[in-house]
Amino acid sequence: MAIIAASSVEKIFRQPKRQSGFGGALRSLFSREHTEVRAVDGISFAIEGGEAAGYLGPNGAGKSTMIKMMTGILVPSSGTVEVLGREPHSNRITNAAEIGVVFGQRSQLWWDLPVRDSFDLNRHIYDIPASRFADNLARLTSMLDMAGYIDRPVRQLSLGQRMRAEIAMALLHDPKILFLDEPTIGLDVVAKDVVRKFLAEVNRERGTTIILTTHDLVDIEEICPRLIMVDDGKLLFDGELRHLRTALGSRRRLKLEFGTDPGAITLKTAQLVTDEGLAKHFLLESQQTSILDVLTELGSGHDLKDVKLEEPNIEEVIRTFYQNKPALAGARP
Amino acid sequence: MRAASYPAFALTAFQSRLVYRNQVWASAFGDLVSIFARIAILTAAFAGAAQVDGITLPEMVTYALLSGPLLYWEYSRVLYDVGDAVRTGDVAVFLLKPLHYPSYLLSTHSGHFAFECVAIVVPVALIVGFTVGLLPPASLFHGLMFFPYWAVSWLILFILACLCGLLAFWLLTAFSLEWFLMAIMSLFSGAIIPLWFLPTPLATLFGYLPFAWISYYPAAVYLGKLDVTATWLHLGIGLFWLTVLSAAVLALWAKARHRLIVQGG
Repeated sequence: MAIIAASSVEKIFRQPKRQSGFGGALRSLFSREHTEVRAVDGISFAIEGGEAAGYLGPNGAGKSTMIKMMTGILVPSSGTVEVLGREPHSNRITNAAEIGVVFGQRSQLWWDLPVRDSFDLNRHIYDIPASRFADNLARLTSMLDMAGYIDRPVRQLSLGQRMRAEIAMALLHDPKILFLDEPTIGLDVVAKDVVRKFLAEVNRERGTTIILTTHDLVDIEEICPRLIMVDDGKLLFDGELRHLRTALGSRRRLKLEFGTDPGAITLKTAQLVTDEGLAKHFLLESQQTSILDVLTELGSGHDLKDVKLEEPNIEEVIRTFYQNKPALAGARP
Repeated sequence: MRAASYPAFALTAFQSRLVYRNQVWASAFGDLVSIFARIAILTAAFAGAAQVDGITLPEMVTYALLSGPLLYWEYSRVLYDVGDAVRTGDVAVFLLKPLHYPSYLLSTHSGHFAFECVAIVVPVALIVGFTVGLLPPASLFHGLMFFPYWAVSWLILFILACLCGLLAFWLLTAFSLEWFLMAIMSLFSGAIIPLWFLPTPLATLFGYLPFAWISYYPAAVYLGKLDVTATWLHLGIGLFWLTVLSAAVLALWAKARHRLIVQGG
């Protein structure tokens, strides 16, 4: 059974229109015009227990708004969100006790206190039995390598150390679902790697459901088998990452290298995109086309030296997709 | 249950104040200077007279020292805590936890207040007591009643600061409200001029407003300016104001939370 279910969820924000200039500022003191911003637009999905799903989209795509609706701190304008069989915003406190949340850009740790003291406060907030708390703390301290700084005040920690502490804090009470809003933002490559490996392990070993928003595709590749991709509040793709290339209609690239320039080559199975003389670059027209098909069509006698087939880089696929969005609008899954 | 977490917040707030030792010294010194300045002004105002309007100088000095936590407690901390949480959106962090935000504020700030009592109020009272002289309470009854009055005083002040802080949900700044609260408090609470020096109609009116419980009544009770019946009666009225203001805070918080979850802050 799905532990998170979103059905035709919409969130519309009403924002006051700021008028420019001194006159505008004065006018807005007496009358305010509002504009409506549709942050989430008819999104539906269901997430099963134990899944790890990445919620990907550019800035302003409505990722954080969706996380806030699932955690109960925003109410949908229409549609329904159910988490663990409950409506999160009307059961905020019960829901909060069963989930863990990490906001990459907001700290839940007490700034002036040692990390350990913040953890201890969480023990009280979530009413964690002492023995379970001690076990979890020991496990998380070792997994996230926090022993060296657990007794240092939060304000003295590096961003990477702080983020590890934030994640540990969100997991101390064994939540059923862990929501992470851009957990790797601002981290260096080593810190990102530590966080990603840890989250993948938590999902695999402990069965904690993970929902993660990010702009960083590597987060998704390493943690989440499932990808939910949004833009302008709308769902663009929901499925396994490896199916994204097909869904977005991206094509594989084939490079043929010759000993002598064979001149212009035209093929039915592949489209020539760049001709460098000795090296020619083709795009394969369909997923079913194999190298063998191309080589058969090419025939012998061309002094062919090397063949290289490249899968499209996923980041490039997504970038091209966003850039060509208007043209591709009809191709949405 | 999770109610156990609230005393833990108070303790954490208390501990966190120990981190900034210089701030403690600065506050204690600042309060001491402020008290001595008041005493100097009062001494000059009495100009050698034994009493003014039936009030003696030692009584006024005692009043100046004991007129509620207003003098010692940085209530603007509540305003800024709430105001900043709203402005930066950090209030969402509290909503993500199984917590009641106003109760969290109450427990945290009671921790701050307890710290200020131990680190500032008691040392300052002792120094002033030994140097200038502090009158004993009018009677054992008045001395004992001073403590519930002091508690009511702090709670009313906390709730008023909370109310102003919560208004930041609509105004998006708590800064202007701090000035507003400070101005009202100085005039109506009796912190600067005790109500007994005001014209009777004004003193009567101010005597029924909740602000009077912040400064005037705790010190007046200690000095025995209220008889036994009046002391109990005014404690009752103080508790009534406390209930009304608490209900206002809870209603405003419910509205603010609704606004937050509907409009996203």
